Amino acid sequence: MSTRAKLEYLREKSQEIELGGGCKAVEKQHERGKYTARERLRMLFDEDTFSELDKFVKHRCVNFGMEKMEAPGEGVVTGYGTIDGRLVYAFAQDFTVVGGSLGEMHAKKICKLLDLALKMGAPCIGLNDSGGARIQEAVDALSGYGEIFYRNTISSGVIPQISVIMGPCAGGAVYSPALTDFIFMVKNTSQMFITGPQVIKAVTGEEVSAEKLGGAMTHNSVSGVAHFVADNEEECIAQIRSLLSYIPNNNLEESPVYENGDDTERQDETLNDLVPDNPNAPYDIKEVIEKFADNGEIFEVQPYYAQNIITAFIRLNGRSIAVIANQPKFMAGCIDINASDKSARFIRFCDAFNIPLLNVVDVPGSLPGTNQEFGGIIRHGAKMLYAYSEATVPKVTLVVRKAYGGAYLAMCSRDLGADQVIAWPTAEIAVMGASGAANIIFRKEIESAENKEAKRGEVIKQYEERFATPYVAAERGFVDMVIEPAVTRPVLINAFEMLATKRETRPVKKHGNIPL
Amino acid sequence: MRKFNITVNGKTYEVEVEEIGGVSAPSRSAAPMANSKTAPVPEAAPAAPKDAPVTSGDSVTAPMPGKVFKVLKGEGSVVKSGDVVMILEAMKMENEITASVDGTVKQITAKEGVSVNPGDVLFVIG
Repeated sequence: MSTRAKLEYLREKSQEIELGGGCKAVEKQHERGKYTARERLRMLFDEDTFSELDKFVKHRCVNFGMEKMEAPGEGVVTGYGTIDGRLVYAFAQDFTVVGGSLGEMHAKKICKLLDLALKMGAPCIGLNDSGGARIQEAVDALSGYGEIFYRNTISSGVIPQISVIMGPCAGGAVYSPALTDFIFMVKNTSQMFITGPQVIKAVTGEEVSAEKLGGAMTHNSVSGVAHFVADNEEECIAQIRSLLSYIPNNNLEESPVYENGDDTERQDETLNDLVPDNPNAPYDIKEVIEKFADNGEIFEVQPYYAQNIITAFIRLNGRSIAVIANQPKFMAGCIDINASDKSARFIRFCDAFNIPLLNVVDVPGSLPGTNQEFGGIIRHGAKMLYAYSEATVPKVTLVVRKAYGGAYLAMCSRDLGADQVIAWPTAEIAVMGASGAANIIFRKEIESAENKEAKRGEVIKQYEERFATPYVAAERGFVDMVIEPAVTRPVLINAFEMLATKRETRPVKKHGNIPL
Repeated sequence: MRKFNITVNGKTYEVEVEEIGGVSAPSRSAAPMANSKTAPVPEAAPAAPKDAPVTSGDSVTAPMPGKVFKVLKGEGSVVKSGDVVMILEAMKMENEITASVDGTVKQITAKEGVSVNPGDVLFVIG
């Protein structure tokens, strides 16, 4: 073969592989409202920065006629490129090639990529669109999943790992996304489940559609498995790029700083009137966050799940800050099983990746009820205490209104290591609500009074005036400063700047044992 | 007369259904419409107790245990998704319970002063 012919062969071979499962399969993919693996990667990365690896890898299976089966690219495209100028690794399963099924060599391509991402300290994004294990490859396929799970776990807390579900993801395949930090889903085209609708019907007789069982909204609002939902793939990819702008490339780096021109000294008088006079009236805590964040921008994580607590990224003076905030507008902002679970995982991600924590507190307590106790609110609620205590990143707690009992501790009180505790004058920091506390402390006085109700009202009022304020806590030094709400932004920026060089070490250990 | 247990939003009702037509075994050639009318279907709404929630429409349930503090929109009111329909007092907070969809308030199942548990239907929008 002449050199010319060799070049021609390379060109042809490359083209053939890049076509994936062929024009017909690609057309079908488009009809479903889905892009192909290569189209997705092109959208994800900065223009012309994607370099493909392992294009010529082939499967080695000779069972059930597989030796005659061509699977261009082994059903997965892997490589690296830049997103906003930063190195990122990604793989995209190609549904047009043998249904994107995972075999031995398909898994090897993904593992090689994960190894590279870990060594280089860069995020790894997995675009999942696969029918599952390639059954013909039997235990080789199974082993492939295992190798991926192992690498996901070893890389956890070292590099950010992001999973994007853009098609089916069933059975064992769901566990790789579950082990990663964030899961993105697309409405109507992505599903995740361990056992699909047919299996459920055969075993329990229950009939349920794939979308209802494991669709994007199910996992974003009911199960809490996924973190982000998009109407289409373009929106999904825009969300991934936004998320990356808030997080560093690895556990030794800081998040990128984006100058955005918002005045660091900006005060906001409207914050002074935001907390209603009636202590029982709800309001939207997001409005508070918007008013002090750079340009009012909030990037919420799991916005549809456990809405009684908000987990979000914002920027203060261009620096990435993680916000954990009670939402009085939803379920009174109480802490329940799902809220603890959601926030603890978020806190641990941020601690692993050097993102400072801002805790915005307006919490009436933990949700009472048998289903909460039976569901294990004790061990789930403990996750928040654990995550906050364990975190060594700068921790600033802003008490806006209610901060009662154990729920106040769970929102990172001074005792769990908050570096700065700032309170608004509307703060009520106490062991329990006024009526409950007054009933216990003044039981005798109330019972011996002629007019019990009048006495009760009187002592409740006394208790409120004395204890439902930030000042008792401030007298003890549990609160560092009580500020006018209008100056919240400059005060927070100042606090995080002061804490930027924070160094805190923990005893050397293999790992802790978080209550799971 | 045949007896059925019907569960509507978690509440179980015992319902008796009388077969009027003599169709004991629906013939294959019977039109599906006629068939479904005579067959005892569990959605026999008229037989359910009077205060059972309307099954058609979107029912909004209590997110947590509490007491209905105020009902702001009566039955028949036209509401938009996000409008506050009632206030549920829970955790010493007045929680706004909003309409889930645009429509008309078909039924208020939880009146003022009533204690509710999570999952109980508060109102139905059709």
